[in-house]
Amino acid sequence: MSRFLNFDTLSLHAGQTVDPVFGARATPIYQTTSYVFPDTDTASSIFNLERGGHAYSRITNPTVGVLEQRIAALEGGSAAVCTASGMAATFCAITAILGQGDHIVASTQMYGGNISLMKNTLPRFGITATFVDPTDTGGFRDAIQDNTRLIYGELIGNPGLDILDLEAIAKIGGDHHVPFMVDATFNTPYLCRCFDYGANVTVHSVTKWMGGHGAAIGGAVVDGGNFDWGATDKYPTITEPYAPFSGINLWEEFGPSAFATRIRAEAMRDIGPSMSPMNAFLLLQGIETLSLRMDKHLSNTAELLDYLTGHEQVSWVSHPSLPSHSSHKLAQKYLPKGAGSIVSFGVKGGREAGKTFIENVELASHLANVGDAKTLIIHPATTTHSRIDADALVAAGITEDMIRLSVGLEDVADIKADFETGFRAAKRVAKG
Amino acid sequence: MYFAVNGKQVFATTGGKPFDNSKPTVIFLHGSGLDHTFWGLHARFFAFRNYSVLVPDLPGHTNSEGPPLTTIEAIADWLNDVVKTLDINNISLVAHSQGCLDALEFASRFPERLKSVSFIASGLATPVNEALISAAENDPEAAIAMMLGWGFGPAGQLHQGPIPGNSMVAGGRKVMRGNVPAELAADLRACDAYKNGKQAAAAIQAPAQVILAGKDRMAPRKAGLELVAHLPDPEVTIIEESGHMVPQEAPDRCRQLLRDFIFKNNPTR
Repeated sequence: MSRFLNFDTLSLHAGQTVDPVFGARATPIYQTTSYVFPDTDTASSIFNLERGGHAYSRITNPTVGVLEQRIAALEGGSAAVCTASGMAATFCAITAILGQGDHIVASTQMYGGNISLMKNTLPRFGITATFVDPTDTGGFRDAIQDNTRLIYGELIGNPGLDILDLEAIAKIGGDHHVPFMVDATFNTPYLCRCFDYGANVTVHSVTKWMGGHGAAIGGAVVDGGNFDWGATDKYPTITEPYAPFSGINLWEEFGPSAFATRIRAEAMRDIGPSMSPMNAFLLLQGIETLSLRMDKHLSNTAELLDYLTGHEQVSWVSHPSLPSHSSHKLAQKYLPKGAGSIVSFGVKGGREAGKTFIENVELASHLANVGDAKTLIIHPATTTHSRIDADALVAAGITEDMIRLSVGLEDVADIKADFETGFRAAKRVAKG
Repeated sequence: MYFAVNGKQVFATTGGKPFDNSKPTVIFLHGSGLDHTFWGLHARFFAFRNYSVLVPDLPGHTNSEGPPLTTIEAIADWLNDVVKTLDINNISLVAHSQGCLDALEFASRFPERLKSVSFIASGLATPVNEALISAAENDPEAAIAMMLGWGFGPAGQLHQGPIPGNSMVAGGRKVMRGNVPAELAADLRACDAYKNGKQAAAAIQAPAQVILAGKDRMAPRKAGLELVAHLPDPEVTIIEESGHMVPQEAPDRCRQLLRDFIFKNNPTR
């Protein structure tokens, strides 16, 4: 091999060395808590970050390590740290650099868990947030304060599907020396590599399309390796001596992977939201077919958009690939392969009709997840976003009649037939 | 740490311990377009074993003030100025790739304080294709892709790395992006112009070690063995499974070899 490998090849091979003992082709599941050291010198040097290696599976694990390196490779990042869930990834990434008195500028259109984290939980630790309409790019600049240490958003907002203008927001971050962290769960690196447009960190719920089979919960933080932490004194957790490791200066010693190393050294050690080796294995199996699945997700989505936009029982349809969507141009720029497989739509007849639709489809599963191989539907106002207040619901673009559809990989004709059953039932309710 | 040499700010990491010139000192020299982070898996090891460690960014690279130096001889002079500025004695010099040419010149011309020299992945010369130099000047991304594509062996291309979760090749790319176009182009031109390798190697008095890589496409085995042939009685090891980026691709083996050689030739008290 004499050149950089392409995406599909990396999806299958990145991060893995074929098992040197038995020749296992699949990544072995190293289901162990700990690792025998060959001698005391090796043990102490691993503990002191003098060398790579595994000591305890809360911190690192060989199976999880393959997944981390695979995700880093697909994203074009210098390093990745996998966590027990996407929310754990977000928490660890934020708290790696923010603390008491620091401030986040965040998009209003995010997963309810992200909004709750920044609105309810982080303030208890002295970290506050200002929320900005993701379509108001200048609003991100206006919201920056002296104590702002992070700009955060989802490239494809959940569930309104507005697209962040990555380059413009990254420039705002760069101008103020504030890193730009993007939740890339809905796009995956197959649809957009956010670092190519100036983002500095991505976080993922790899539970979703990356894993793709609804079988394992997991998260990942990817260090873009492209933020100059040392240019100011705003990020002491990266640039100042870190006492637990003999005063190590992570920025000096790890350079482009200093941020990821901080998460590994602090969050994984002191908080411990580790991914299990079994989950890492399951997620690796999913990533092997990421591009194949995403292409099918996108083609099914395109067909369902045609179907829904022409359906008499549908009051509105929202997807960035539709010219009517406010983010259509940004979607064409940042997501040329397709703008993901989440579709929002309203059923004529309002909340009751929507509820009836959900209760009468059979193939589509009514549950709180997205990015499964199977088609999923849910009513966000009463479920995923139920813990945020009415104003935040409006800000997030969530209406009472909204149904969020995560398009699966079934034969699209079967999805349409299933929806017809739901729409017939909804029509009866709407007529009263 | 930062210090001034000839009126210019120089950055060097010290492996996590304060620099102390009373101790035996290991100086690490990076290759073209890279910086101190290349030695992360080695510097800290020696710093925590009672050595002083100095891993400078060459002038113009990453944190050190420019402009970049344009000849290998000038880099050797600059290194001697660093040594004199910090008054370092009992030096073990460890060099990789272009750093080996710098080390050849330094070791042959300034032997007084040198206890040992370790050459990793290099020959007596490093002729550079004009297309690569041109790319470094005009299309840095292409140049970086060429260098990392040739530089890393199969494990690197698969984004593996000795630190769990870290991609060696992506980390290298990020560092090199900060050192283009001027620094990388200057480095490559300096390598290409350097012709004094044979004479320099023959003049080296300090114990020498050569670590070569079996899958090195930038400094192939044949070139490395030429260096071996011109050094007086070097210790030679070929790490068969590694590509050119030996300190990162085979860090444990490389560290072991460096440790044994430096402990023997430049012992601490």
